[in-house]
Formats: sequence, structure tokens, C-alpha cells
Amino acid sequence: MVTSLLSTDDLRQACDLIDASGLSFEPPFDDLVGIFQAGRLQAVGAREGRVLKMLAVAPEAQGGSLLDEIVTVLVGRGYQEGLDSFFIFTSPGQVTSFQALNFHLLAASSKSALLEYGDGLGRYLNRHRQLVTPGPNGAIVANCNPFTLGHRYLVEEAASQVEKLYLFVVREERSLFSFDYRHRMVREGTADLPNVILLDTSSYAVSSVTFPTYFLKNGDPGGVLQMELDLLLFAKHIAPFFHITRRFVGSEPLSPTTASYNAAMQRILPEHGIEVSELERVDAGSAPISATRVRALLAEGDSRQLASLVPETTLNFLLSREGRRVWDPKGEAA
Amino acid sequence: MKITRKVQAGTMQSSDLMVFLEPAEHLTVTIESTVLKQFGELIRAKVDEVLARHHVESGEVRITDRGALDYAIEARLETALLRAAEE
Repeated sequence: MVTSLLSTDDLRQACDLIDASGLSFEPPFDDLVGIFQAGRLQAVGAREGRVLKMLAVAPEAQGGSLLDEIVTVLVGRGYQEGLDSFFIFTSPGQVTSFQALNFHLLAASSKSALLEYGDGLGRYLNRHRQLVTPGPNGAIVANCNPFTLGHRYLVEEAASQVEKLYLFVVREERSLFSFDYRHRMVREGTADLPNVILLDTSSYAVSSVTFPTYFLKNGDPGGVLQMELDLLLFAKHIAPFFHITRRFVGSEPLSPTTASYNAAMQRILPEHGIEVSELERVDAGSAPISATRVRALLAEGDSRQLASLVPETTLNFLLSREGRRVWDPKGEAA
Repeated sequence: MKITRKVQAGTMQSSDLMVFLEPAEHLTVTIESTVLKQFGELIRAKVDEVLARHHVESGEVRITDRGALDYAIEARLETALLRAAEE
């Protein structure tokens, strides 16, 4: 029977079993369950949001149905919490055993693979079917935290070069500005460009699933594997669906993570028939415009220089009562 | 019978299926199966028959199957429907 692992002894056994399987015990998680036989933990698995992880079965118990039972419980409980699809990262050698559980392969590189249960990607694409045009179309994936003149230049330039420009705003809530605010700033800041179509990335691009280290900004080398999967998913599933043949990106002089993501783009996307166009950043004063720079000014409570970095629509939002609450919660800025 | 809440029944073990039901305006049925190519139509027919017998006219029905026999499909789907309609 599958039980929640809660006690110190449970956790110690879980760590041992996970270590022995060549994985590492990696909190945080929302759910951690296992199966005991004769007092010994024989199988373990955890869920963090939509991602199933740390799935391990003791060697003497393999070949049975323990893994199926663990996944059943993790998925069943996750479903009750409102999640309708689940992801797993695994080694390429394990892909078929998860496909037998009705997981679908989203992307695989030589070292790792990403699978999904519940066909969330299919439903995500279907929801946008009426927005698909014959192309050739372009795409930008951006967080826009907040939407700057740099984004505006990139979008305007890209939109002038393609039939439709799909602008994917990162759905993930790991930024200063919430998705709703970022989406609103982008919508208002691009309203005059008729061939720009706004979309959200859902879990399928630059998300905590496909690319968790993007949000850490430290150039973590383990992130390279992740960004490969993120780009392969884009190249194999998202781009063909929207007839996207070009992906536009701003050059990245400042953030090492974004710079290596851009480099991975140049390496991976052209093989799949997608041209990568890297546009020079626009400068304001002596330095390039970036959302990081805008946030630094906001953190200092300095709103005077903002007008040279963000479009009027963003400025109006930032200085509105609603916008101020985000970056100046104590109301100290003049 | 009306699907009034979100429920799940079944397991991911071999020869079994997972059934997910939730309220929705229209009736949609999606079936994933490891044997979809060989038995997709039979699974679909069984699911439609059970839904019709219980007069289910709306809701989102999602099934992932691992080669369950038709009485297992019937039992899992009926269990889920009863749970979804409970007070």
C-alpha cells in the first residue's frame, strides 16, 4: 500500500533508496510517498508542482507494479489539487517504461528526456488553433518583467519581418510583476502592432518545468541540459504548430544564463529549420536597456530615469496606484 | 447522472485504466491508451455506452488506459460517475 512518508525514519529510508538508485534527494516537494514491505521501504516517489521526481524502486522489487502504484497516487492526489498534467525528467533509457504508463515524450536529448502525462501540451495547442496562420511566422519568448523599450524595439523590428509574430509571455509566477501585470504591459505596449499575437507559454517554454534555472540567474551549468530540452520542445512541437520559422531574441551582454540560452538557441534551432535572429540591444545613456536595470531603479525608488527605459504605456502602469503597489509596497517613493 | 465534481478512479497498473471526470458545459471524451491503435474504437464504444446508460450529457471525461478489458472499463467509469455525482 502506498503511504505518505512523514517520519524521520521514513525520510531516512527514502534518502537511502533514492541515493542507491543514482538520484539525489532534492527538496522541495509537495508530496512524498512510498511503499513498505516487511518494514523496509521498497519504492518511493515525490511530486513538486506538476513535476514527478525522485522515483525509485529497490532492485529486489523491480519488475512488479510498485512504480505504477506510486505514480497512480502522485497523479491522483495532484489531480485533486487542480493539476491536469504531470511531467517527468528521466534518462533516455527509461523513456519506454514511462511511455507504457501513458506518458508522452515531449523532448529528448542525448542525456535526458522530458515526458508528460495527461496531454496538457495537446490541449494547450488546441486552445490556440484558431490563431494559427499559414506563415511564415516568427516568435519571441519573453518574461517582460517589466516591458521595456528594449522589448518594444525587438517586437517592432521582428513584427516587420514576418507575417505574424507570436509573442509568448512567460506564464511562470517567479518574477517581481505577476503574469497578469506583465501580460497587460505587453498588450498595451504592442496594441498598435496588428500582426503581433500575444500568447502565454503555459508550462511549455521557459517554465519551472522546462527551464527552472532561468529564474536563478546564476549561469548554473546543470541548466544547460534543461535549456536544451526547453528548445527541443519548442522546435518539435510549438514552432511547427504555429508555422514559426524564425525566433527573435535580444543580444545579451549582461546575464550569463540568458546569454547561454541564446547560444543554445543558435546551436539547436537551426537544425530544426528555425532561423535565430539576434538583434542588438538598444542603449539608453551609456548602457543597454534591460528589465533588470529598470527593476534596479525601482528598488532604489528612483522613478525619474524610467521614461528613457520603458514605453509610455509601461510608465503609466508603473506610476499608477496599482503598479506602485508592486515595487513600492510601503509607499515610500516620492 | 450529472458530473458535479472533480474525481478520479482507477490505477496506472497494467490491465487497468485511470478515469478523470470534471464538470464542464459540454461533454468531451478523450482517450489515451497504450493499445489505442488496436482497440481505440472498442474502448470508445464502451465508454460511450456507459455514459449513455447513465444519461451523462456534460462533463470532461479523460481516460488513460493500459489495456483494460471492457468490464474493467465499465467498472472504473461507473465508480468515477458515482463519485462525481455523490451529494
